[in-house]
Amino acid sequence: MPRVFITGLGFITSIGNDAETVSRNLRDLRHGFELFPPFQKPDIPCKVVGTIKGFFTDSTDPEDWTWPSRYTIKRETIRSMGPNVLYAHCAMMQAVADAKLTEADISDPQVGLYAASAGSPYLLHYHHERLVKAGVMRCSPLGIVSSIVGTLNFNLVASFKIQGASCGFSSACASSAHAMGFAYDDIILGRQKRMFVVGAEDGNTDAILPFAGMRTLSLQGDPDLASRPFDAGRDGFVGTGGGAVVVLESEDEVARRGVRPYAEFLGWGQGSDGYNLAISHPDGNGLKLAMERAFAATGIAPGEIDYVNAHATSTLIGDVSEARALRSVFTEASSRLAVSSTKALTGHGLSLAGAMETGFCALAMRDGYTPGSAHISTVDPLCEGIPILRETRVGGPSIAMKNSSGFGGANVALLFRRP
Amino acid sequence: MPEAVQTTPGAGKPLPIAPKPFAPEDEVSLREALKRCSPSTFEAAIQFRKTGNAEHVGAVVIGVIERFVEPDLRVKLKDADDDIRLVEDLGIDSLTMMEIVILVEDVLQLTINNDELRNLRTVGDVKTFIDCKIRGLPLPKPTKFLPIEHIGSVMPIQPPFLFLNEASVSSTAANGKYKITGQEFFLQGHFKDNPVMPASIMLEALGQLAVLFLLEGAPTEQGKVIGAHTIFFTGCEGVRAHRICRPGDILTLSIKPKRMKSPLATFEGSIRVGQEKAVIAEEITLTFLYVEAAEQSAPVHGNVPAPVESPAVAPPLRVAMNA
Repeated sequence: MPRVFITGLGFITSIGNDAETVSRNLRDLRHGFELFPPFQKPDIPCKVVGTIKGFFTDSTDPEDWTWPSRYTIKRETIRSMGPNVLYAHCAMMQAVADAKLTEADISDPQVGLYAASAGSPYLLHYHHERLVKAGVMRCSPLGIVSSIVGTLNFNLVASFKIQGASCGFSSACASSAHAMGFAYDDIILGRQKRMFVVGAEDGNTDAILPFAGMRTLSLQGDPDLASRPFDAGRDGFVGTGGGAVVVLESEDEVARRGVRPYAEFLGWGQGSDGYNLAISHPDGNGLKLAMERAFAATGIAPGEIDYVNAHATSTLIGDVSEARALRSVFTEASSRLAVSSTKALTGHGLSLAGAMETGFCALAMRDGYTPGSAHISTVDPLCEGIPILRETRVGGPSIAMKNSSGFGGANVALLFRRP
Repeated sequence: MPEAVQTTPGAGKPLPIAPKPFAPEDEVSLREALKRCSPSTFEAAIQFRKTGNAEHVGAVVIGVIERFVEPDLRVKLKDADDDIRLVEDLGIDSLTMMEIVILVEDVLQLTINNDELRNLRTVGDVKTFIDCKIRGLPLPKPTKFLPIEHIGSVMPIQPPFLFLNEASVSSTAANGKYKITGQEFFLQGHFKDNPVMPASIMLEALGQLAVLFLLEGAPTEQGKVIGAHTIFFTGCEGVRAHRICRPGDILTLSIKPKRMKSPLATFEGSIRVGQEKAVIAEEITLTFLYVEAAEQSAPVHGNVPAPVESPAVAPPLRVAMNA
């Protein structure tokens, strides 16, 4: 059976714009939340966002944007981007350097890229408004490709000259976890030897605020309390954006290039709730199925798992569903099993979440710690019965599970092993 | 848009542009639209919008193109003549071309159709095109790429005295190529055991390219064409040969009209071999006459030698254009 490894990571997140900073903040449980200036208005009830620092993307003209000077991006590359693409582009450059990839290692028919983002609602709105107000022929020729879902893969495939498999995934908050799973399959099936998995979101007003209508956003005005998965006082998720890139490679490639992987990607499973388009199944049936399938696919027993990076977003219903699914699966759990949600620190990255949190699991394995679930003062009684880790534990997980759930009741479970 | 120029062929007198009065808020939006262009571009745009004077159009167009060219390529634009190519030299792709068009439309208040864009290959093409739109002149003919078959069918000059293998002709210039095969009859004697392309023949080749320009590129009046058998050589100035050309060399020829008023057309011309200058002609002057389009309906056929016509005044250095 071929094997798949994680060999490179890149992060533009609310808790850091490089792997070292991200890892330090995960270990120290330092969050990336701020009172988001555009939300500080009487008619906007939610106030806090996991903000991206060091970037300015608050203009409909990408040539107005600024980004850290370590990234050189040409006008012809930036002009077709939404903010999510800029974040991912920078994360991609980090991941390429981290995995020590040459241009020939990237642009090769055996190398592909799977991406997940909701596109750029911000730019979509702007371009559509221009269509209506300025007229059809005064629209930017790049309006479509910079804003629709798919802009992430369109841009990155062109910018990085990807030749192998490429497409986008849209299962909402499970999207980049799905991308991870199918990228794994492509390598296992021998179709590709290396895959970039990219998740990204704008994380600005237009990307986050529509969730207020669903009553799923936290209305907490205190950045230290807004995101607290599994806590009895949680009142919704905190939105965030950014970009994360995970480089997956076949065992042969890892050996040929002589690189040290962060983790082995053992396999994955998915299952759907078949229940409601937006509300997770009360017993987490789809997630339970996803986890069982991940175990079946990898031959790993639940008792071997010592860390679950939960999907838990800090919503009332979702966290309970996941807790129930975990309880039903981990009936014979290891005494070392720890569950935490790093969304307590980053906020919920939507399509970005699966890839970003996979990156967190890989960092924890490499740097030897298990991140705690921050901001809990009282565990919700409905979430009891699972070993929620409240403080960071010294010692990295040897086998970790990453759960992701999205709208439509789509659920994914990914399994990783420390090499 | 009321400012749009009517460009339908045969639509009679073109409509001149009647610019809207230039309001202070127009200046604000113009400044915003041109914020990434040079100050001189903005100044030219303001002048154009206030006065409608088409003299400022070139500066606006160049300023807008410059703004969309990657900074490291902008030097090329500064030093270049109108022949610099948008795609090959400036790295402008079709999407960037659309960005340029939308900004130019916005700034100059005109409308450009997609099909009008396809023929714009060089900075000069763009300048001429916009200038024609603004002045309400008929749009220039697009650059045409002419294979040898086409050249042979329209030219009064025929093998073995035709020194063009391929050519491209626009309304402002013509470029061509000729490969010296070594089989040319005159190389047997020029020189003995030492075949060198005669400089007079190279001048002839430039003259032939100018003939092709007159037939295929030069602007004409409605219903008129330049008669293929009315074109003759009259004179040349400042001709210098810089390089010996031999069999195997590929001559790259270019000519550009300097002045054109019936019955005289004066061109500047040059020949290069690769990057090396081979021949410069500061002026080559031909005579020509307009004839009714119907009179020239029958093209010259490849194998039929064109009838010899002698010009009224035989020029001293006669390069036998129609021989």
